[in-house]
Amino acid sequence: MKPKISIVVLVDAVGALSDRTLHDGNLSLVDDSPLGSRNLGTTDLVTAVVPGQVVQWTPIHVDVQTPVEIQNIEFLGAAPAPVPPPLAAPAAEEGAAVEPGYAAEPVYEADGPVLTLPDFPAAAEPWTGGPSALASNGFENHDLLVWEGIVPVTMVPGVPYRYRLSIKLHEGANSVLSIESPALLRV
Amino acid sequence: MAQQHGIIVLVDVNNALKERSLDGNAYWFDNMKFLGSTGEGTEKLTTIVPGAYFLDGSQATEQVLNWLPAALGSVPPTVPRNYLAEQARHTDQEALQGIAELAPADEAELGRIREQAGRRARRSHSSRSLVTSKVLDATGQVAGANAADTYNYPTPVITDITGPAVTEKIIYPAQYGSPDMTYDGWYWAATVDTSRPGVYAYTMHIQLHELVSRDDELVWEPVDLTCESYLKVITDPKRNAFTGAGLGVLPLPAFPPIS
Repeated sequence: MKPKISIVVLVDAVGALSDRTLHDGNLSLVDDSPLGSRNLGTTDLVTAVVPGQVVQWTPIHVDVQTPVEIQNIEFLGAAPAPVPPPLAAPAAEEGAAVEPGYAAEPVYEADGPVLTLPDFPAAAEPWTGGPSALASNGFENHDLLVWEGIVPVTMVPGVPYRYRLSIKLHEGANSVLSIESPALLRV
Repeated sequence: MAQQHGIIVLVDVNNALKERSLDGNAYWFDNMKFLGSTGEGTEKLTTIVPGAYFLDGSQATEQVLNWLPAALGSVPPTVPRNYLAEQARHTDQEALQGIAELAPADEAELGRIREQAGRRARRSHSSRSLVTSKVLDATGQVAGANAADTYNYPTPVITDITGPAVTEKIIYPAQYGSPDMTYDGWYWAATVDTSRPGVYAYTMHIQLHELVSRDDELVWEPVDLTCESYLKVITDPKRNAFTGAGLGVLPLPAFPPIS
């Protein structure tokens, strides 16, 4: 088993801001999974994973003097239709206790396929105290966040787990753009 | 991924030459205001350099600085730098055309002159040297008899970067070749050691060019001046974005969405 899967998020920041979308060739997702990922190079990447692997997302700017950071990665729930996030700050709807840049705490249903995870560290509580992990000299620096996590054994095989990938381009009301098309797939 | 820094130093060449100083005649800009740079558009720019380190203390982000000079009242920096040479060659050809129309008698002699003038133009085209370029006026045309009144200053040239930031080995500046003709194929850049936070000054050595009349000839004479700017180096720890601390399990829902 390959211990780590890298997903690179290539972004043309100027193109995305002027088109107001990460689609239309402004974002491209590529991974290095040997397990048969699909749609490499598009926004519809389905990354093939197995439990225990570490998945890491890395944003890369096509133009090196543009700021491109990951604002949030949020796995979409079993709701019939995902609610589109507000344009400005997707994290704000999670409540004041959740810092920007943090995904919601995983909710494992009591009647779901809950397993104990003796081999893996548990997902930490959303961190609420002390200074923000983004705080840098009074400014928010998203470059400080490492977007990686372990694939849980509770993941159902053969079903794509789509996620909302939000990209932050500079700052301001229109700086965050999202796609909901990529997914992880346990094989 | 951390973006590269662009730092522009804009010089009021006319006043700087008059006062023989860049004090009050240099304006600094960078693209890092949103991460805490201060003093954009003034001569007191402090550029933020937000470093990051992993929990084992190793440097996690490489910060890159790029410096570019610009001048008030020159040919805009978006115009390719060989514009000067192109304009010079163009007027050479026009002059030859004029000679041909005036004296159609000796074709052989004219051919010889044309070849000679052509060779000179080619030489200045390849060197793009200021001394051999013709003087352009404010509209980018070759200046005539009143050149000294209407000329256009060449863009300032950064000749060196020194000061505490360099001697303390915080930045490692060097001049690099570039395929970008807009900046003459050269630019100054540096990587930053972000492991030692603090405010570090650096001195920018800038060469301006003054048009002087010597032996009935107009000559661009270099004038070397310096100005100062600051880097504020900070460093913060990298953290896992899902947990706020160390590595954890991905926050997947109990059931995947129905697709």
